[in-house]
Amino acid sequence: MSKNTIPVGPYHPLLEEAEYFTMVVDGETVVDIDLDIGWMHRGHEFLSESRTFTQSIYLVERICGICSTSHPLACVHAVEDVDNIEIPPRAAYIRTLIGELERIHSHLLWLGLAGHFIGYDTLWMWSWKYREPVLELCEIVSGNRNHYGMMRVGGVAKDVDPDSVPEAMETLNMLEKKMHMVAKAAKDDPVLKSRLKGVGVLSHQDAIDYCAVGPTSRASGVRGDVRKDEPLDAYDVIDFEEIVLENGDVYDKLVVRVLETLESIKIVRQCLEYLQKKNGAILNNVKEVSPGEGIGRYEAPRGEVFHYVRTDGTNRPIRHKVRAPSYVNIPTYAASCKGIPLADALITTASVDPCYCCTERSLKLVDPDLNPYEIDLLKLSREKTAQVRREIHGK
Amino acid sequence: MHKMDEFLSVMDEKIGSSIRKKKRLYFDVDNVHLREVVEYLFHTIGCRLSTATAMEVYNGIEVLYHFSDDDTGAYYCPRVLMTDKENPRMNSVTPIVKGAEWIEREMMEYWGITFDGHPRPERLLSREHPQNLDQPYRFRRMP
Repeated sequence: MSKNTIPVGPYHPLLEEAEYFTMVVDGETVVDIDLDIGWMHRGHEFLSESRTFTQSIYLVERICGICSTSHPLACVHAVEDVDNIEIPPRAAYIRTLIGELERIHSHLLWLGLAGHFIGYDTLWMWSWKYREPVLELCEIVSGNRNHYGMMRVGGVAKDVDPDSVPEAMETLNMLEKKMHMVAKAAKDDPVLKSRLKGVGVLSHQDAIDYCAVGPTSRASGVRGDVRKDEPLDAYDVIDFEEIVLENGDVYDKLVVRVLETLESIKIVRQCLEYLQKKNGAILNNVKEVSPGEGIGRYEAPRGEVFHYVRTDGTNRPIRHKVRAPSYVNIPTYAASCKGIPLADALITTASVDPCYCCTERSLKLVDPDLNPYEIDLLKLSREKTAQVRREIHGK
Repeated sequence: MHKMDEFLSVMDEKIGSSIRKKKRLYFDVDNVHLREVVEYLFHTIGCRLSTATAMEVYNGIEVLYHFSDDDTGAYYCPRVLMTDKENPRMNSVTPIVKGAEWIEREMMEYWGITFDGHPRPERLLSREHPQNLDQPYRFRRMP
């Protein structure tokens, strides 16, 4: 059968972040994939050079709506790295708390979308139902459901009220129970397993070659978690485990995220206990930043966020480099999508949790008579799950 | 920092001046030795390439690669300086580290750097830009 090229994108009414794929298919099988990015370029690096360090934090907070605290955290780590600025212990715990709450709600968001993509709407509704209390928890702690505006060079901007801890603990207890339930459901469900096991495998060597980060590489057996490698903030005193699995398929990526959510709940609980017991300063006053360069990073829900700043002794960076995790994870499609059926392509491209996964995609095609017709990738993916379900349950 | 000491002693002749801070090593490297140094960092030490930063400095354009050693949390940053601002040219590391493809294409587009040996020297962010871009983005200054 001859090869066909399928364009996906660049604009779709539902695409929150526009991007453009070109998939080359041979019958039903994807043989090649090419990506075209840059449709959403906003020039943050350049803008940051005209802002002070504190203003930059607010700017980078708006790079992503879901990991809205990872960028500010990496940014303040970078500026602190220039002078090795220390932060008060209470500020370290607050930073860790906000970062982990964000990880929980981001992973739950992905879990819901993954469920929706493969036609598991129950998983989607469960995840998003339990994501809501986490957002409320964020509001209790920081005053905002998203875009917390908490980070400052030398500490945090706002203290956490110790009186809010009991309420937060209650939510956590509820969430932990429900997450165990979701984890068990995901592990025991034969349909989910046969639908996702062995799909879109990213091999161990490919994960290393493409320099993949976060759950994408950890599901392929590559160790690497910034929270363990360079434990800044309170991560050096907090007890948690790094989740590493071996197979590299979509199922393992799902399990990594579910288990990480449980670890995050553990971390949040330890932070809250500390914040309830001990008081103290939350911000070291940083008068100036000396000329030099600094690297800051943080383990965002999707992987390592990297910031580099070069300073010249003024209150502004002369160069501010930002690298989000999806920038290194998205090129792995070239390895993981080759040779898989088209119905699996949607969940494979969504499995690295790229920022545009909050959507479905449709393909516009033209047949030999130049009549346009559409293939709905989402429908293809959901139909495959229905077929797997019929085979397993014999219906 | 046993690994960093070993790296410095092995690569002593290949690298120029260096700045060493806690878990950070920034060092100058000549374009001809870049691939050798990167080969050592990627294959022998087992570093991961985080990204690379290009910037304009007073005597040219520099490219700073950021290699992360995930076992120790240390960063190795080789710095290559190109003094010819009009026609900056250096060796690509993509043949060694596949993960460098996008960032090198981005630097090519933004700073006009030619990466010799890059497998796919195309623009990354503005491949389908309707206008003919006569200058690299970062040098298209406002009048």
